[in-house]
Amino acid sequence: MKRTLMTMMAGALMLGVSAVAANAGTVAVSWKTFQEERWKTDEAAIKEVVEAAGHTYVSTDAQGSAQKQAADIEGLIAQKPDVILVVAFDSDAILPSIQKITDAGIKSIAYDVQFEDPNALYITFDNVGVGRLMAKTMLEKGKTEGNFAFIKGDKGDPNATFLFQGIMEVLKENIDAGKIKNVCETFTDGWKPDNAQKNMEQCLTSQNNKIDAVVSENDGMAGGVVAALEAQGLAGSVPVTGQDGDKAALNRVAKGTQLVSVWKDSRVLGKKAAEAAVAMIGGTAMDKLEGVAKFNGGKKGVEMNSILIPPNPITKANLGDVISAGWISKEEACAGAQADVEACK
Amino acid sequence: MAKSAKKSVPARKALRKPASAAKVAKVPEVHDTPSAVVGAQPHKNLRERGTPLIEMRDISIAFGGIKAVDHATVDLYPGEVVGLLGHNGAGKSTLIKVLSGAYKRDAGQIFINGDEVNIDNPRDAKALGIETIYQTLALADNVDAAANLYLGRELKTSFGTLDDVAMEAECRKVMHRLNPNFRRFKEPVSKLSGGQRQSVAIARAIHFNARILIMDEPTAALGPAETAQVGELIKQLKAEGIGIFLISHDLHDVFDLADRVAVMKNGKVVGTAHTSDVSHDDVLGMIIAGKCPPGAIPGPGAMRDAA
Amino acid sequence: MSDPNTSSLNPATASESAVTRFFRATEIDTRMLGMVAAIIVVWCVFDIWTSFRINDEGLFGGLFLTPRNLWTLLVQTSPIAIMATGMVLIIIMRQIDLSVGAMLTLIATVAAVLQVQHLAPALGVGHWSIWIIAVLAAIAVGVLVGALNGYLTAYLAIPSFVVTLGGLIAYSKGVAFYISEGVTIAPLDSTFKLLGGNVPSAWMGPQWSWGIALVACVLIVLGIMRGRQERKRVKFALRPLWAEAVLVGLGFIAVLGATYVVNSYPWPPKLIEQYALANNVTIPPGVEDKAGKAVCMAADKVVRCTDGLIYYTGYAIPVLITLAVGLAMTFLATRTQFGRYVYAIGGNPEAAELAGINTKAMTVKVFALMGLLAAISAMVASARLDAATVSLGDLNELYVIAAAVIGGTSLAGGIGTIYGAMLGALLMQSISSGMLLLNLPSPWQNIVVGSFLVIAVFVDQIYRRRVK
Ligand SMILES: Nc1ncnc2c1ncn2[C@@H]1O[C@H](COP(=O)(O)OP(=O)(O)OP(=O)(O)O)[C@@H](O)[C@H]1O
Ligand SMILES: [Mg+2]
Repeated sequence: MKRTLMTMMAGALMLGVSAVAANAGTVAVSWKTFQEERWKTDEAAIKEVVEAAGHTYVSTDAQGSAQKQAADIEGLIAQKPDVILVVAFDSDAILPSIQKITDAGIKSIAYDVQFEDPNALYITFDNVGVGRLMAKTMLEKGKTEGNFAFIKGDKGDPNATFLFQGIMEVLKENIDAGKIKNVCETFTDGWKPDNAQKNMEQCLTSQNNKIDAVVSENDGMAGGVVAALEAQGLAGSVPVTGQDGDKAALNRVAKGTQLVSVWKDSRVLGKKAAEAAVAMIGGTAMDKLEGVAKFNGGKKGVEMNSILIPPNPITKANLGDVISAGWISKEEACAGAQADVEACK
Repeated sequence: MAKSAKKSVPARKALRKPASAAKVAKVPEVHDTPSAVVGAQPHKNLRERGTPLIEMRDISIAFGGIKAVDHATVDLYPGEVVGLLGHNGAGKSTLIKVLSGAYKRDAGQIFINGDEVNIDNPRDAKALGIETIYQTLALADNVDAAANLYLGRELKTSFGTLDDVAMEAECRKVMHRLNPNFRRFKEPVSKLSGGQRQSVAIARAIHFNARILIMDEPTAALGPAETAQVGELIKQLKAEGIGIFLISHDLHDVFDLADRVAVMKNGKVVGTAHTSDVSHDDVLGMIIAGKCPPGAIPGPGAMRDAA
Repeated sequence: MSDPNTSSLNPATASESAVTRFFRATEIDTRMLGMVAAIIVVWCVFDIWTSFRINDEGLFGGLFLTPRNLWTLLVQTSPIAIMATGMVLIIIMRQIDLSVGAMLTLIATVAAVLQVQHLAPALGVGHWSIWIIAVLAAIAVGVLVGALNGYLTAYLAIPSFVVTLGGLIAYSKGVAFYISEGVTIAPLDSTFKLLGGNVPSAWMGPQWSWGIALVACVLIVLGIMRGRQERKRVKFALRPLWAEAVLVGLGFIAVLGATYVVNSYPWPPKLIEQYALANNVTIPPGVEDKAGKAVCMAADKVVRCTDGLIYYTGYAIPVLITLAVGLAMTFLATRTQFGRYVYAIGGNPEAAELAGINTKAMTVKVFALMGLLAAISAMVASARLDAATVSLGDLNELYVIAAAVIGGTSLAGGIGTIYGAMLGALLMQSISSGMLLLNLPSPWQNIVVGSFLVIAVFVDQIYRRRVK
């Protein structure tokens, strides 16, 4: 929190300086909220690239409010940056603000959260890909058949549905063949781990513990699922998926109670986005950026230039990736690890 | 026992005269515990002014711009009943609420037996032996009569828990004297009639050995029999040497019970007088016009041209 | 006129029906009876409904009225029920506390960060004192934050709605986030985890559970006897003996019934297996159960319980904590001066002040008590999840308030009971657990729970009007 404030103040100060410096540009970011751990990592990565290129970084925090974000963006436009990265809180409510950015001759990047405006560049992890990856890892390293439980995220969050689509794409074949049975499928209010725990408990009760695998859409909920499994002595024998690379989840991977945590390395996302912004300041056209492709998988099917970054499924086998990346310390990851985890030896 | 046991009679004026004239067959005794001041100051000596039991000197209090009480001075001697009179909004309730600790005065002093005392809240006043029957009754509507009677002074068992049974038993005794027909001890007082509620409020004020009793229109909602009971009660408390401020709009009552009257108008004291020195009409003149008659000692609120 | 002490009960009139006479004599709260009836109806409906999908050994062949589900239901209800007991007092006092969920998050975070990031490294993982320090810290934080809410409300005269709305915004996504940096803190100390009831060592087992039940039964008898003595002392009419017997009987049925149910839930087979392995217990050879009901282990097979090795869970620690909290709070609310003041202030704050009650100090105390209960709830919730997250208490304030309101607490103040709120929490959790068992679409669950809240209050109002 404090760090954010300082960054913002520093940004404001530097604005005065950069106005004087020739050909140096400004990259602005409108964050939807700083209340989630990950955004700090993104910010550090973005800042590093932007400042290394001699540009200025400014940012605002909408604190989880669509209205505040709209006001934030107006404030940023007034500072005349070259590119504005927007992490939209509400992907529909944000559209008028994006129009204003375009009208002011500023380039916009939809960072991590999609909003459907053809003038913006969409940079994100391949979200449908995350679901696919979870399911793929489940089939490869977990179970290919049996009773599957699906613990989905909040029903108000489109990502929960995206993820589920990806999961089902991969599992469809086995489901159709009757190998996999979808025995429980619940949304989880607010993606809350304690709600996921209750969902899982009731699922176990209703199936008399005959659950062979659990596909949880993120790590927090996987924590609740594992707690429910633990109470039935099933933790470790029933594979559970997740995503986010939460520290507690990576530790569970090491302990064998969670199969996989699909890790979206925010630093890669931040770096790629910042590089795209810097390239655009340097005059590169949006559709000529490295790795850019057309994307129209949004709700309204608007075609956008987009860069989709593949995430990394972390299992026992490649736990070393997160440790060597400095995302988690070896002690944290390996506390109580099983003997067969290479990275913990 | 009084037969006319109508419990709730809201309109009082009409019913009042016969009531105060009616003699109650048996005077109920009020205090089970002996009062320390019984007979200490026979009220015959009142005219030889000693140290007053209570003196409120130059009390002022304002709400926003309204001077509800404006440099009011009143006193009260042991075993004396002082009737506080005045039109609606004259400031009577406000003045006595200063004494009971409900309001904090803006200016003025309060003396008890000549010593200045500090009354900042109702707890202070109760500690000094000042008990009050508020015009609004100030009952907690959602609990029963016993709980209201003992509110703030609950009886406890040896384990420190509430002794509800003992409280109810005591409550039955005291209520039986005030309102013999009262039965609804288990009900929250919100379910009681206006008069029953008033009885509970009176019971609460007299049950704890007060030295000074403030009664703000205590019989407003009572039936004739119950009103008569309260009249007898006042006489008996007076005999025990308790000082009583009695606020009432009923002149008959006041003349019947009070030794002196103090009349207020627009927050100021018009004057004080012994009931034996003035007539009903004199007092009405004080209340309505602020005219201080010859028999009274004028206060700051008296009309200039009054004699 | 009759002696004032002849009767403490209102005199019975000839025209009274037997039912009325029954309730008058036993002094059973008919409203509570209504709630219990509603809960039983909900349970039966779910048991019947689940029996259409899955055939199990519930009372009606369904899943709901099985020891396992009821046992889980009690544990699931605990965190909300604990806080609801405090919310009742707050609402009775004409205040509101919107910050309980946020406090829960904050307290859970402090306790978790303390044990995981500070105590474990300093004292060594699993040190015996870790859980004690964490519990004390949690309670301290809860009481302090609660007292702060109360102080701002009472002494600075900021409406509690505003104060605690501020707390709702600040405590969890602000302070707690700052402390944990938004990270899920897990796993927790292994002893602390017992508070959550998620592991076999947090289950009392049948012996202890029956023991507790026995103590409870003795207390019921003693309580009734003491009541009689008290009435005799002041010569009040006594309750008829048959009425006393009915009350004792009902108490026994509730206590023994609940104990029987939790004592009929066997450990999950896998845990029996793990326990047997760890403790060198030989699992007797058994016969496999044809229906495939996994209840006991025999060798490595799932068998009928009579043929294998079986342990029963009994009461889980969080459920005992909840029951203890409920008893303590009921005692506080009904048997102590503190409780009397809370009700009196709710009935008429001015009158309470004029009666010499320090209403400001009372406000601070009640909010501090709410903080304490949030701390207990936070410990149970985080121990159960084996983690503290910044979303742990989200929306709990709404469920807690809803539980209190369904339980008959009047938002106008002055009216409410502890057991009502706890039954309210149980009723709400029953509905959502039941719908989860049925795997009903999630939107339906929200619709039903929401509608239920409104209908419950509506029915309650009709009931109150009728009773008048
Ligand atoms: N709490 C208060 N806030 C503001 N004004 C008040 C308050 N209490 C009393 N007043 C005002 O002070 C004045 C005196 O009121 P008070 O209640 O003392 O009158 P009263 O003589 O008792 O009248 P009544 O015979 O109607 O009972 C009135 O003008 C009233 O409006
Ligand atoms: Mg008045």
